Amino acid sequence: MADLRTKIGAVDFENPIFVASGTYGYGTEVSELADINDLGAIVTKSITRYPREGNPPPRIVETPSGMLNSIGLANIGVEAYIETMIPLYEELETPIIMNVAGSTEAEYCEILEMTESASSNITGYEINISCPNVKAGGMEFGVDCDLTEQLTSRLRKLTERLLIMKLSPNVTDIAAIGIAAERGGADALSAINTLVGMSIDTTNKESNIHFGFGGLSGPAIKPVGLVCVHKVYQAVDIPLIGIGGITCANDVLEYVLAGAAAVQVGTANYRDPDVGNSIIIELDTLLDKNNMGSIPDLVGKVQLGS
Amino acid sequence: MKIEIATVLENKLIASNIWKMKMTAPGIAEQYKGAGQFIQILVQSSWDNPLRRPMSIAAVDGDQIVIIYKVFGRMTQVITEQEAGEELDILGPLGNTFRWGDDEFTPVLVGGGVGLAPILNMYGECTAAGQNAVLVIGARTGAEHFIDHEPQNNVFLATDDGTAGITGTVIPAIAISLKNTGKPEIFACGPEPMLKAVQEFAAAHEIPAQLSVESYMGCGIGICQGCVVERVNGNVSEHSYHEKYSLVCIDGPVYKSEEVIIG
Repeated sequence: MADLRTKIGAVDFENPIFVASGTYGYGTEVSELADINDLGAIVTKSITRYPREGNPPPRIVETPSGMLNSIGLANIGVEAYIETMIPLYEELETPIIMNVAGSTEAEYCEILEMTESASSNITGYEINISCPNVKAGGMEFGVDCDLTEQLTSRLRKLTERLLIMKLSPNVTDIAAIGIAAERGGADALSAINTLVGMSIDTTNKESNIHFGFGGLSGPAIKPVGLVCVHKVYQAVDIPLIGIGGITCANDVLEYVLAGAAAVQVGTANYRDPDVGNSIIIELDTLLDKNNMGSIPDLVGKVQLGS
Repeated sequence: MKIEIATVLENKLIASNIWKMKMTAPGIAEQYKGAGQFIQILVQSSWDNPLRRPMSIAAVDGDQIVIIYKVFGRMTQVITEQEAGEELDILGPLGNTFRWGDDEFTPVLVGGGVGLAPILNMYGECTAAGQNAVLVIGARTGAEHFIDHEPQNNVFLATDDGTAGITGTVIPAIAISLKNTGKPEIFACGPEPMLKAVQEFAAAHEIPAQLSVESYMGCGIGICQGCVVERVNGNVSEHSYHEKYSLVCIDGPVYKSEEVIIG
């Protein structure tokens, strides 16, 4: 057995395979199809201050090696999350990371304050400052260093739990945003959220996504995710969680070598909600077979030509 | 629901562009509840196409599942290449079922295009249960039909070009089929324009109806939130969830006609 443990901030995780926000519901829906207790962590769907219906259909379309989505942060809202979901998490062994989205700084703070004041065993928060599909997704924060730092530092004061800022690739300089979040007091950064994309049905000239654009995910974006993680890794000292197109243990290893201490599996869950557990087993074998040591030994160890 | 590796027993062309595949999938067959439910097929293991493809179940017999599908894109074309003995990764059974069994009503089953499978499935279930039912199947042309127009047996075909059965959409055919039918209840599945026409016809004639809705689908199990249909619902507010939009994969695919907005 390889040592798959990894550490993010002050938290030790059994393994580095997390499932990404928005691709695993609230964490409990897929228990018929997957042993969710073996995952490194579950990042739950973005929660907003109030419930949201989400965007009109069509919301998704498959694209080459990927898909576009424009769900529009459809969710039950923080009050229902505290009331109905958090009690269910008491039964789980897997750490739960709550993803939070807002349209104003005050809204993000209110969600954290409400959740902190409730009794819960959640491990931390991932702050969505990078949803491309709605104004409430915090994208205006995610593209601005000052706003990112200010939001992070306000949230930092509200919780001692793990605070992860989720970065957008839809920026000129992702490392600069990462540095701002680190300065604001984030424990870790996750990267990347989806890339903005478009798809058109030429038979009727209609956009395949209702509002004309959506967030691109899946294997198609893996090279972008890798380079973003690597750029941020070179710029900050806090741990990174790599996201983007992961379907197998080799993808995980690539992200780790690029600089990630853990990863999140996203789109692949739609094909097989148990893919995370398959990757854990595969990663164990891969590390053992090649005598590669443990995850922390490998983080950022990509070799570049001089 | 479960993910199961099914074995293909038969996969053949039964009409122009319409294929029928029979496979062994004991786990899914065991959990199957009735017509309307569907499976999600992983067409190929490469990640060129990440998403599974939803297919309605056309029949379940013992540990076997039958699907009837129309070829309309590259992925459905790839499914036609599956041969007997090959394995297929499928997830199911998913979704809800048509709800019937009230002797007061005669089911009028209306199918067209990609919506044939659940309709033929329910027709089979009615026949097996000794329930009289009327079948109305629409297509563009006679070559797409694989059953005969037999009004004397309450089987009505419709074609846009008049090459088989009644000329026109399914609507004139439904109207004719109702002449000898007691209290009808319509059950329909097909392309959006057909469903919309059936919905309007049912409302105008005050006939109860259930529609199996098509939607672009991601996961099929409620986690991606991609496959929504708009509900007719008075509870929608500025801050509601799941009131305006319903998830076709877990709330549906079958809805009462008056509950959803088609198109």
